Amino acid sequence: MSDHNWRLAARSLKRDIRAADVRALFVALVLAVAASTMIAFFLDRLERGLERQAGQMLGGDLVLEQRQPFDEELRTRLEQVGFVLSDQVDLVSMISRGERFQPASLKAVDDVYPHYGVSHVDRGNGTEEIASGPPPGEAWADPRLAQLIEIELGDRVQVGQTELTISGIIEREADQSGGFGNFNPRLMLNTADLEATGLVQPGARVDFELLAAGPPAALEQVQGLLAGLRRDGVDVRDVRVDRPQLGNALQRAESYLGLAGLAAVLLAGVAVAMSTRRYVERHLDTAALLRCFGASQYQLVVIFSLQLLGLALLASVVGALLGLIGQAVLLWLLVSFLPMTLPPPGIMPLWLGIFTALAVLVGFAGPTLLRIKQVSALKVLRRELDPLPPSAWLVVGVASIVFGGLLWLYSGSFPLALALLIGGAALLGLLWTISSLLLNGLLIVVQRMTGGGEWSQALRLGGKQLARRKQAGLGQLLAFSVTFFAMAMIVLVRGDLLTTWQDQLPEDAPNYFAINIQPSERDAFERVIAPRVDTQSTLYPMVRGRITAINNQAPGDVVPPDARGDGSLRRELNLTWQAELPEGNQIVAGQWFTTLSEPQGWMGAVEATPRAVDESVPISVEDGLAERLGLGVGDELTFSVGSDTITTHIESLRSLNWDSFNPNFFVIFPPGILESFGHSYITAFHLPDSEQGLIRQLVSDFPGVSLLNVDAILGQVRDVLTQVTRAVELVLALVLLAGISVLYAALTASRPVRAHESGLLRVFGAGNRMISRVQWAEYALLGFTSGLMGAALAELATAGLYLYWLDLTPRLHIGLWVILPLGGALLIGAIGHALSYSLRRQAPAASLGLIGEA
Amino acid sequence: MTILHNLSLSVVAGESVAILGKSGSGKSTLLGLLAGLDTPSDGELTLFGQPLSRLDEDGRAALRAGRVGFVFQNFQLLPTLSALENVLLPLELSPRAGENQHASQWLERVGLGERTDHLPKQLSGGEQQRVAIARAFVTDPELVFADEPTGNLDPDTGAQIIDLLFTLNREAGTTLILVTHDHALARRCGRCLRLVNGQLEPFQPAAISNGGGDE
Repeated sequence: MSDHNWRLAARSLKRDIRAADVRALFVALVLAVAASTMIAFFLDRLERGLERQAGQMLGGDLVLEQRQPFDEELRTRLEQVGFVLSDQVDLVSMISRGERFQPASLKAVDDVYPHYGVSHVDRGNGTEEIASGPPPGEAWADPRLAQLIEIELGDRVQVGQTELTISGIIEREADQSGGFGNFNPRLMLNTADLEATGLVQPGARVDFELLAAGPPAALEQVQGLLAGLRRDGVDVRDVRVDRPQLGNALQRAESYLGLAGLAAVLLAGVAVAMSTRRYVERHLDTAALLRCFGASQYQLVVIFSLQLLGLALLASVVGALLGLIGQAVLLWLLVSFLPMTLPPPGIMPLWLGIFTALAVLVGFAGPTLLRIKQVSALKVLRRELDPLPPSAWLVVGVASIVFGGLLWLYSGSFPLALALLIGGAALLGLLWTISSLLLNGLLIVVQRMTGGGEWSQALRLGGKQLARRKQAGLGQLLAFSVTFFAMAMIVLVRGDLLTTWQDQLPEDAPNYFAINIQPSERDAFERVIAPRVDTQSTLYPMVRGRITAINNQAPGDVVPPDARGDGSLRRELNLTWQAELPEGNQIVAGQWFTTLSEPQGWMGAVEATPRAVDESVPISVEDGLAERLGLGVGDELTFSVGSDTITTHIESLRSLNWDSFNPNFFVIFPPGILESFGHSYITAFHLPDSEQGLIRQLVSDFPGVSLLNVDAILGQVRDVLTQVTRAVELVLALVLLAGISVLYAALTASRPVRAHESGLLRVFGAGNRMISRVQWAEYALLGFTSGLMGAALAELATAGLYLYWLDLTPRLHIGLWVILPLGGALLIGAIGHALSYSLRRQAPAASLGLIGEA
Repeated sequence: MTILHNLSLSVVAGESVAILGKSGSGKSTLLGLLAGLDTPSDGELTLFGQPLSRLDEDGRAALRAGRVGFVFQNFQLLPTLSALENVLLPLELSPRAGENQHASQWLERVGLGERTDHLPKQLSGGEQQRVAIARAFVTDPELVFADEPTGNLDPDTGAQIIDLLFTLNREAGTTLILVTHDHALARRCGRCLRLVNGQLEPFQPAAISNGGGDE
């Protein structure tokens, strides 16, 4: 029994491929699978690749840092779960060659270094890629250090109590996590020489790092251990949490791709629902005949389910193949900026694709398909005996539940999925009501149109046709609205994403940082650079200070356990003072310092009397830091600056953009407090290519000022943006394709009814031109209304998305309200018109079914 | 609304019965009841010795499977299926060995051996009805229902279809129940009945008819 059901299903499927609705169904399913697998494959590989890259920048998958050497017990435990360990020691010390002295940031590495990646070192034969550190007895210096103490390859430098030979100039370290916390130039040496230097003494400021490389599973196993270490004040950097900021751009792009994938699945789902309707209608006759020939209800369901299942599996295979090709294309577009080989595609996304196809089929086609079961054998004698279509609520309900499930699966967040679903359902109800009103209103307007012109007559007739099939028209209106909405949203978000990226990194984004400008040099420095640079950030004064107490308690006792080893508590922070809120910063809590014009304010007091040490000073803190340390407005922070102690309270929290290539500060003081401490200035500026000579002049005029060139990093981030943009565009094309598949499916579904109508019009004497215009008008009205609805939906949804997902500021898109209705009218009008071309060529007898039953 | 009432009919195996009636007299309703496609609000029907009222929709369908053939006025061919595939359809529900060959043979017997791969829309009305007749007989049914088999055909084609139907019926020894308003067609049946006001009465069709008259 079941065996021949299979056979019958397979045969009917083979025969059915000829039918337009089955083709539409197939295309829709292929698109759903292709979109979801492509994006899943891609994100999966990108995610794993990024983790690898993050590991490279951190120096390992797990990095521990503390002020004393790590004990054997910890090493054994880490090695037991599969980690390979590497030791590293960081300290700042004076190095010298002859008469020249220079503080340098020493980094001692062992023979395992580096876990990932290579260093770019010039050992006399040009820059080479080397996957190790310097051998014992040798050291590598960065170009700045070489310049400052005038060393060349082969020279010997004094490091503590020993001498090392400079055997390489290090252009780029394998593990370089950027950051400007340490402004001293680098000297890299071997841990074997560390003891001889005599620099590692009790009480010396030495950072011991333990770098571990291992699989994610190993990382998972030691989470408990890590939590304990954090509580003990060890700085723990986990590759999955402390991913270096290659830019939020990539994260947003990932969110965007995920969103686009879902949009494509939703669109494909709508297409599936529409083609299933037509499919079922077409097969009611078959079902009735089969009932006549003795098939049971169960058999009918089995046969048609198997048939659709076969179609879904076939579509999954084709879609998955397309998805594989698509992700390869995506990667090819992106690969030049990914400094890594991505792991091969996993099998998981494939299952996801097949699952998606089945889910879409069950959710969007299921309730409609069950209608076939209800068919009565008597229909063969009495044609009008069609079973009732399933209630719209049932169809939409089941589809929503399944789509909600997919949302959950893709986003991994149940509350988000639920919220989106409930929001979507409410929106759909609203949409239905508004569509209905809108359609009615439009029809009234059309009916009132006077004038004997052929076009207005066509509009009237088209409007009437639409009105006659109001339920079906509403269904299509809904489908088109959702389609336009999804398409518009993907286009809008893309546009805003790109604009935001471009705003974030304008052409004249700073490419140099100048650090350590002494107060005495400040004016001279400004005078030299001002005429020759494009843009320059404010000159920020900078004072080093350490947080010594939070609310009068030791910081370690107050902050969340995870933050006990936080770098901001272990190292000195760069503090600055500003009267105005720096550009690009936003107050998110509290308020910025009261203005100078208030004489009774504390600043007035400062002007009048010397600062009292015990007076609490208002400060502004970066919100990310505040969140990590569990701080809020009103909390008291005590800083030690130099030999003084300053008591402060948080008056405001600021959010700022760390990717902006401008100097950013965790803590900002008001003017009048820190001036008396030793301070230097920092600034960032953009130096055009034509003015590169300025650098040489600055180095010789201001030898104490450190200049950092960030062109390379800037270029890398720009590359990321360009290429992510291309990837985004590819996905956009896919979504638009899915949208068109919906239109195709919907119009295919309504062909027979329209054929009948145009046949009737023809019988009554309408010419081809008239019929063609009436159809144009009907589709255009439909398109116009759907466009309006789509615009409203898209505007609402993008605003929500920006706020809660993509972290952008919402804005109104006026063009949308014009383009979508007009474009919709044009697009639906044109596609519908083109699709009904063959109908218009038909003799009325054929379209009215007077000849045979074809 | 009562369409048929106080109506009694029994048909024995091998018999051919014509039921005549005006449009709207309830002919199709009666046919639907006889074939178990529909159920009467009152009364009892027995098909192949089984009381239909005791069977549910699926049970009645199972009873029909392979034992009942249908020929319809509007042919009821599936437009996306070729002639051969249309004939195969009932066989696929109760499969047997060599069904393709069997179906081809039936198409040959109705004179369409050369057109097995044509879609219905590529066939004329008469040819389509031939396909339908082949489909009705392909399961070697014990009983064939024909609902106005010539209703959509011109008189000449109709006559040919009638010849074919009766020839095949005779050869196969099938019971035939035919609903029509065509007297020429009715006259070829062993027994003729007329449906008037919901009741059946014996009837002798007029000797001469062009097949177009009503009654």
